[in-house]
Amino acid sequence: MNPIREALASSDVVITVGSGGVGKTTVAAAIALRAAMEGQGSLVCTIDPARRLANALGLQALGNAETEITPATFAQAGLAPRAPMRAMMLDMKRTWDELIERRAPPDKREKILNNRFYQSLSSALAGSQEYVAMEKLWELRTQRDYPLIVLDTPPTAHALDFLDAPNRILDFLDNDASKWLLTPALAAGKFGLRLFNLGGSYVAKTIARFTGTETLQQLADFMLNISGMNEGFRERAHQTRGLLEAETTSFVLVTGPMPERLDEAIFFHTLLQQNKMRVAAIVVNRVHGPVPDALWEEVARLPSPLQRKYQETLKENDHLARQDARGIAKLREACGSTPLVLVPRFEFDVHDLKGLYETSHWLWGDQVLEVATPGR
Amino acid sequence: MLRSTLRHVNVAFAVLDELSDKRLLVVTGKGGVGKTTLAAALAVQSAREGLRTLVCEVNAKERISQLLGKPEVGPEVTALDENLWAVNVRPQEAMREYALMLLKFESIYSAVFENRVVRYFLRFIPSLQELVLLGKILFHLREKRPDGRWRFDRIIIDAPATGHAITFFSVPQVIVDTVPPGAMSEDATWMRDLLVDPRTTAVVLVSLPEDLPVNETIELHEALATRVKMKAQLVVLNGFIPERFTPEDMPESVPQALRDVARAHESRAQMSITSLARLKTLGLRVVTVPRIFVTDFGRSAVEQIAQIVGAPR
Repeated sequence: MNPIREALASSDVVITVGSGGVGKTTVAAAIALRAAMEGQGSLVCTIDPARRLANALGLQALGNAETEITPATFAQAGLAPRAPMRAMMLDMKRTWDELIERRAPPDKREKILNNRFYQSLSSALAGSQEYVAMEKLWELRTQRDYPLIVLDTPPTAHALDFLDAPNRILDFLDNDASKWLLTPALAAGKFGLRLFNLGGSYVAKTIARFTGTETLQQLADFMLNISGMNEGFRERAHQTRGLLEAETTSFVLVTGPMPERLDEAIFFHTLLQQNKMRVAAIVVNRVHGPVPDALWEEVARLPSPLQRKYQETLKENDHLARQDARGIAKLREACGSTPLVLVPRFEFDVHDLKGLYETSHWLWGDQVLEVATPGR
Repeated sequence: MLRSTLRHVNVAFAVLDELSDKRLLVVTGKGGVGKTTLAAALAVQSAREGLRTLVCEVNAKERISQLLGKPEVGPEVTALDENLWAVNVRPQEAMREYALMLLKFESIYSAVFENRVVRYFLRFIPSLQELVLLGKILFHLREKRPDGRWRFDRIIIDAPATGHAITFFSVPQVIVDTVPPGAMSEDATWMRDLLVDPRTTAVVLVSLPEDLPVNETIELHEALATRVKMKAQLVVLNGFIPERFTPEDMPESVPQALRDVARAHESRAQMSITSLARLKTLGLRVVTVPRIFVTDFGRSAVEQIAQIVGAPR
């Protein structure tokens, strides 16, 4: 059976991972679309900063809220799904604020929301989107009743952070250093952390030279204020980690066939397996299929001025097909038992529902792509 | 044949015009559009013009050294060729260098920054990591040799992809806005000033002839200008496919399967032309780089692209 269909039969969360520019968002959206077509209601959620999903779905803008793709939009594409499909793009800042509003003790909310550290943490700053993405995934999974959630992740470097996010929250809370810093102040029920109780200590002075004294004070305030949320965070982080490792969660690793993408894909595959995540399939996107033998024979019969143009084009196509075949062979060797699903390079850009549905034929195994002989 | 060669020579001079007086070139675009290759090509060409050039990868899986057929360089600035140096800037080493610069003494660094509690603290200072990465690169831009000349005449950054590029280059401004006065915010200020100075810095946007990459290039151009105040000077359209078949080349006498091959080629060529036209609406010069067919994409491919983005001497 086709590995993606199999994964969907047994999963309610599918997470697409991979480096940038390989068509990860397209694959995520195509899987969600196909699920809806087959009667499994779906939500596709992207945390990618660029608005790729909006483009891919032909929507103008996505918000933090789930938006149902209307029957009219489907009808335009000639499609009639048997279950609803929704899409959303994660708004980091809003998700953070909601999180604080929901979980912080009432007297701490304003202090946290107004803290400069919180503000930079929750808006522009690198790394923090992974924290909230996990939070959002958990919320969607537990508070809504979607038969399938397909989560698209940012490119590799950040996707590593993403996998690690629940662990980092746990680390943040369980770390001896944080206990050492927070406990005395909490026990004494007063502001000011131990670091500052060290007064003019050498360590405190040196760090202050680096960051400015006020920065440390603000960071300390922030940590003190959110410390009331520790238990909630801790519980949530455990659960999220559990969700990633669950039997009902599948990862789909997306890559292109070009050599520089493959190394990253192989690295990522190893990492997912080390982390006990279930990789249902590796999707190799935009593969150039082989040039049929018959075409070489036909081109040989063309009159000479035409022959040159056609021959050149076939040679280029053949070059690309063989290059892809070499990449696929390498991937097969490196990733052992994980099945590969090949999606051809289309003659059109996939940016609407129709294109997504076309893509899904290959993901779903309705059509299977042949690979060239690597050769040369 | 001669015509197309001449056309490239013209284009080559145009590239130089746009970038010739800039000391910092930032190469960015959607993931997978060929940023690294272009950064390598610009670096090779810049070094060949006699400028001492440093090309930086930012906390990435290192590729430039390999593209140029050299051993891995890692986090130390390493000479690759005459006038050409490379470095893969990584957070841990950059943090150490930054701290050492401020503290002056290794022993203090070890005592303070290798302290568990301190490390823990630093991890939670938002964007400190990006700041030190960027700080290391920009520090090299200010470095001088004993005779007072620049250590590097030009620095080329193989920058992160779209969304992350915006985040990355916004970091100095965010720190200026959020972190109270101190060494960190002072450094963030001069970094920001360098990045937004159009006399020093030029952004090169890389794209591919497909809808999504072009959309993203247009959005990125806008976001860089409004959110980061960085000015793009040039767009490079990689993988350009020129037209090859006229309707007369596809008569009924040619078998259907072959005509399909020709049509597929022409539809991609058409996409290239449309993409070029859309990118031109940015009001910047757009340089096209044709798709390159080589078995091992390495030095020879980089050299071909270097010919296109630089002027022959």
